[in-house]
Formats: sequence, C-alpha cells, structure tokens
Amino acid sequence: MAALDPVSYLRATPPFHALPQPLFDAAAASLEVGYYPAGSRLARVGGEPLAYLYVIRKGAVRLERDGQLLQVLEEGETFGYTSLITRKATIDVVVEDDLLAYRLPDAEFQRLLGDAQFASHFAVGLAERLKSSLEHSAITTFQADLSRQVGDLVRRAPVWIAADATVGDAARLMRAEGVSSVLLRADPPAIATDHDFRNRVLAEGLGPDTPLARIATSPLRTTPATAPIHEAWGLALDARVHHLPVTRGGDIVGVLTSGELLRASAQGPMAVLRGVERVSTRESLAGYGRRVAEMAGALLAGGLDAAAIAGFVARLNDALVHRILRFAEADLGEPPAPYAWLALGSEGRREQTLLTDQDNALVYADEGEARRAWYEVLAERVNADLELAGFPACPGGYMARRWVGPVAEWRGRFEAWLDAPGPQALLEAAIFFDYRRVAGRLDLAPLDAVLATAVDRPVFLRFLARAALGFRPPASLLLRLRGGSTTVDLKLQGIAAVVAVARCYGLELRTEARGTLERLEAARDAGILDGDAVAAAAEGFRFLNGLRLRLQLRAVAEGRPPSNEAALAALSAMERSRLKDALRAVKTLQDRAAFHFKTDF
Amino acid sequence: MLFSSPPWESAVYWSLDLETGGLDARRDAILAVGMLPVRDGHLRLGEAYRTLVRPEQGKAVSPRSVQAHQLVAGDTRGAPALGEVLPELERRLRGAVLLVHHAPIELGFLKRAFRAAGLRWPGPPVVDTVKLLLRLDQRERRRFPELPADPPVLNLSAARRRLGLPDYQAHDALTDAVATAELFLVLREALGARRLRELT
Repeated sequence: MAALDPVSYLRATPPFHALPQPLFDAAAASLEVGYYPAGSRLARVGGEPLAYLYVIRKGAVRLERDGQLLQVLEEGETFGYTSLITRKATIDVVVEDDLLAYRLPDAEFQRLLGDAQFASHFAVGLAERLKSSLEHSAITTFQADLSRQVGDLVRRAPVWIAADATVGDAARLMRAEGVSSVLLRADPPAIATDHDFRNRVLAEGLGPDTPLARIATSPLRTTPATAPIHEAWGLALDARVHHLPVTRGGDIVGVLTSGELLRASAQGPMAVLRGVERVSTRESLAGYGRRVAEMAGALLAGGLDAAAIAGFVARLNDALVHRILRFAEADLGEPPAPYAWLALGSEGRREQTLLTDQDNALVYADEGEARRAWYEVLAERVNADLELAGFPACPGGYMARRWVGPVAEWRGRFEAWLDAPGPQALLEAAIFFDYRRVAGRLDLAPLDAVLATAVDRPVFLRFLARAALGFRPPASLLLRLRGGSTTVDLKLQGIAAVVAVARCYGLELRTEARGTLERLEAARDAGILDGDAVAAAAEGFRFLNGLRLRLQLRAVAEGRPPSNEAALAALSAMERSRLKDALRAVKTLQDRAAFHFKTDF
Repeated sequence: MLFSSPPWESAVYWSLDLETGGLDARRDAILAVGMLPVRDGHLRLGEAYRTLVRPEQGKAVSPRSVQAHQLVAGDTRGAPALGEVLPELERRLRGAVLLVHHAPIELGFLKRAFRAAGLRWPGPPVVDTVKLLLRLDQRERRRFPELPADPPVLNLSAARRRLGLPDYQAHDALTDAVATAELFLVLREALGARRLRELT
C-alpha cells in the first residue's frame, strides 16, 4: 500500500529526506496532524516550550520576540526545534495564516538527533535563530534578500475571465480557484479584486448581475518579472494597490498580492503599510514608529541604500498622514475650502529615514479664511496624532498647529524671506522651501511661483549659499584620520552641508525636485556644476546617510536615543577611510558653491 | 443540560472510511477499511488501522467502483474476512465518536455488516463532515445574502480545496480517513463549535 500523504510529504522535506529508512519509519509512526487557525499563539517567550517539532504543510507562522518580527515560516519549513533543544521558549510563535502542520513528539525528535546529518541541519538553524533572537536585536541582524526578482514570487498563472462576465461569474470563479483577484480579458485588460467586490459592488448596492467591466480597474499597474522586489513595493505603495500583475515578454504570468510581497520580507514596507491600513483608532497609532525603525533596519541589512529606504519611509508616512486626515475630516466635517498638508525639511525632500521631529504646515485656499478655526483644529489634531505615532513635536516649532494660514498669508511670508534674508529668515526659508504637498486638493501654483522668483534675487541666493557654507566638515579630518576630533557630527558636518548647497542650486534652476541628489543632478545637467564634483558629493551623501542610519538603528536597538554623532573609534578602518573621502567631497562641493554664488563678494 | 456535553477535544474521534464495491449496502461488498483517531484535537497517524477485506460470497463489486478504488479481486483474495475485521472496528469505536464523510452510506454498510456477523453495533455518536459543510454553507448564505448562491461543495477533495487544505490522493480508505479528519478540524474551527453536541 502506498505511503500516507502526510508521511510522504514529511519524507520529501529536508532534513527528513536524508534519514535512513528504518529511522524514518519509526518516527513517522508517531506523526500527528494539527490545525491551528490564524492568530493562535503556539508559544510565548518565557512560557511553556513547544513539545513537538512542527512541519508546515499549509499556512504560515510568525516568529516574534518583544513584538518584533524575526521571520515568517511557510510550507515545508520546520519550527519548534529551538524549544526542543534549549527546553526554553525564547521566541513567540504565532500563526499568520491558517496552519495545517505535521508534528513529531519531543522523544522522537531527540531520537532522530542521533543521526549526525539530521542533527547538523538543526544545529545550523539553531545557531542562526539564536543569534537573531538572543545575542542581537532583530533590527541589526535581519537579512532580507531584496535582490530577488518578483518573477520568483509568482506561484500560479493568473485567472482570467471573459470580457462580458458579471460580478457573480467572477465571484464564483474566484471562489473555485481560491484567488483574491481576477483579470478581465478586455482591451485593455482590467483587474477586479475582493476589495472591489466590497467597495464597488456591495457598498454601492449593486447586484451579482452587474457587468464586471463596470467595476474592474484598467489600465493595469504591472511590474516586469525581472524587477527586484523592492521596486515592486514602490509600485504597490505608489499606486495604493494590493494586486500587482507580473509581466514577462508582454504576457501576464501571474498576479502578486501584497501578502506575497509582504512575505518576501516580513519587515518590508508592505508590512508597515498593512499596519497603517489597519490603524482604526488613535490608540493603535502608537506602534508605528517602532515598525518603521524595524523596516529601515531590515532594508539596510538587505543592502538597500539610505536614499531608497528614505523613499519608502516617506511613502509610508504619507499613507499615515492620509489616514489621520481621513479620521480628522470624519470628525470635523468637510473642509470649508481646499487645503494642502505640507511636509517640510527632510520629510519634504523624502530624505527622512527614522522618525525625526515633525516639520509640517497647513495651507488653505483664501476663501477658507472666514473659518480659520476649522483648519487650526485640523492642524492640532494631526500634529497630536503624529506625536502618538512616534513623530516627536519639533523643538523649533515648525508644525502645522503654529504654521497654518491661507495662501495669501504664505505668499507674503515667502516674499518677505526672499526680500529680507536675515538669519532667521534664511533658517525658515531653508525649512519651508523644501515643502511638498502630502495630502489635500489645494493647488500650490501660487507658492511655486514665489519660489521661482528666488533666482531674481541674487542677494537672497548669495546669503542662502553663505549660510550653506556654515556647515563645516571638520578640518582636521580632511587631511588625517583621527586628527583632533574623536567624533563627527554626520548631520551638521556633512549631510546638512550637501543638502543646503543643493537647495541653492535647485532654487536657482527653478527645479521642482526637492531631493538633494536630484537637485545636484539638475545643476550638473544645466552645466553650472561639474560632473565630477556632483558624482563625488552624491557618493559621499549616500555614504554619510547610510552610516548615520546604521548607527541610529543600533542606538534604537540598544535602547539609546538616536543621534547624529559618529565615534571614530567605533568605525572600521574602511569606514574611516570612506568617511574621509565623503567629507572631502562635501568640502569640494562647498568650494564650487562659494565660487558660483559669489559668497565672498 | 447545557454543560452535559463534553468539550469537543476531550472526545476521541475515529475517522473512518470504507472502500466498497458500490453504493448499495445490501448488494455491494466492503473491500477496505481505513481509520485513525483524533485525540486532543490532533490526528494520530501512528494509531491508524487499515486493512483490505475479502469480499463475502455473493457480494458485488461494480466496475465503476474499481475505477475509483483500484482494488481488484487479486488484491483482496488473501485479505482477512469481514468477520475478522469487524471486532477490530468494534474495539476502537467503543466509547468513541465515529467521524465520517457522508454518514448515511458508511453507516448503512457498517450496521448491516455488524448485524450479518451477529455482532452488536456499538452505536457511537456520529459526526458527519458533510452535515458540517452544509451548516457552514447556510451560515455563509445568511452572512452574505448578496453573493450569488451556488450549490454547496460537498465532495471531500473539492471541499478540502475550498477550505485551503492540500490535495491528497483520493480513494484509499486510510488517506480518505485522514482527509476527513483534517477537514473536520477545519470545520470545527470555522463553526466555532466548542462542545461535542454542537458537532453531532
């Protein structure tokens, strides 16, 4: 008689595949099957250790410690051995997706450990898992393979339905196929998802006879199969979609769900986005800051550079602000006139990696002035909610609760800074001129127009450039490593200098780009800054940001407040050498700017 | 009376499947039995019992059934007779719950066989996964009256697939018993049943 299905599955699963037959047969005789619904907690740190070795047949489990996700395990993977070997529960084990698991009792597992090959499989896994659970914090050791291609994640061909299908046809097909989306064979093709059935069918009072084409979405947002996973995250976040068709050679080879993208890295942006979308009360905002720090750590460990990470952080923060604004509007009612929520400073440039102080402002159409109080309450609410989410209040007070006003007021303020560039005006211009609209429908063209006149005020630009040169790289470090100083302020002595110089060039060129690297590239393309200086400064900027992020994550993981200080003694020889190169590049950039903006005249 | 029914996981369930020569208990032969227990909410594969059964004189094996179970006369010729197999069933079912997929057929065969062998049918409480599937289907219809109504999926393999369970090789008595027991665990959870009484 043929082997039972669970037994042959176990036999095909490493390390059971390599066991001698008699040993395997004896173990298989003790095999059990269990079913654990999503949300079940199988083990808790400090509680009872697991008494079985589990092999996942269907579903997924999360391994967590201190609420931080270490790993998501799926079909064919085993868990429980850390408990069985150490006799302690060192990790929380929580069922992520309904779990069908095969399990072997402790005694059987111990017997199998007598087989050297079998034991070595778990020795490696245990070392890795202990390392990430005990010795270090999850933040610094989590490894995600972000270079994988999205094509590798596709598990099945897409499910298509005829162009004239009804919603009912689609629902039946999706149920039969066990999928959460269906592609409509129309020209151009369209997609319908579970969400659409809820939001565009049921909630609209439509029936099953509704043509699917009426509620489906087209054109499709697709990703090529060769794109790296992190690019697919970006696409999904930007388009706010949960289903991403994957193309190869013009054909759609599958549809990736946000869940699948999530599992590719349990701490990636999809996980945080999911968290944001589940924020249903103000109380649940509290965990946001920690999750962003975890994500940044995971992405950094996965080899993504700080600029790309900052891009994800900005998108997620934007999604959070949208959510918060929606709550606020639900309570306060429709806005009297359109408004725009502005992110300022590093958040405006999309260069924020960890949650730093809030820098934001609120601007509304002049017609709204009669109901100024409505906007003041909105600003107060959003500022307070962002604080709950982990963005500390800005010590300088650049927050919407103070900086709220109609367009006319803002225009006047901007013009005053341009006309009279005193020290305080320059400081504020530097923060506010990096504004970016995060939410709201107000057209910002009147403010953009004021910004475009900066180039007509050479005095303003010269003063702004002079202020940019005030961020000085440490002189001793430019020549020798370990000169007089023992610490470097990565922000004030490096990053801020590049940001400030790039802003001057950006204003001169009237570029809409806010990002530091984009501004430098625009200056290079316009021929007012040489390519070598830009390349070196960009490389240095990336290095300084990456180093700062790494040090800040380490601080967070060790329970210290993140700072901008880098102790030279804590850096490797290679890092010190690169730091020197980076600071030199910053100095070169400043020299070019001093000449270009005639700061000495 | 409310608390007299035991918590569901305190009962022992014997999941049982028969391969038969057809669907008519009066006419067709029992060819194979597979059964395994669910204890503390877990299937115990090591306690599984499976045997082929030598068909009794005069009982039929329809060609269609052979296509399904793939058992031919040569396979069952040397197998134990039903009279030897039934005491094994009786011993296991005593004090336990019988778990089957579509009870009327299996029960028809079992009761008739026990009677013919002069044995008393132990009369265990019966949990039928088909009944549980119907109950789940009704509940879904009440919750989503807007969605188009299909006939409920009752076939063992199809129902498992719908509820996210892996595909198993169908029509081996023990594999079907395992498949039924897993389906039972999923249905029990989906229905939120806490006591045996809510399942029988």
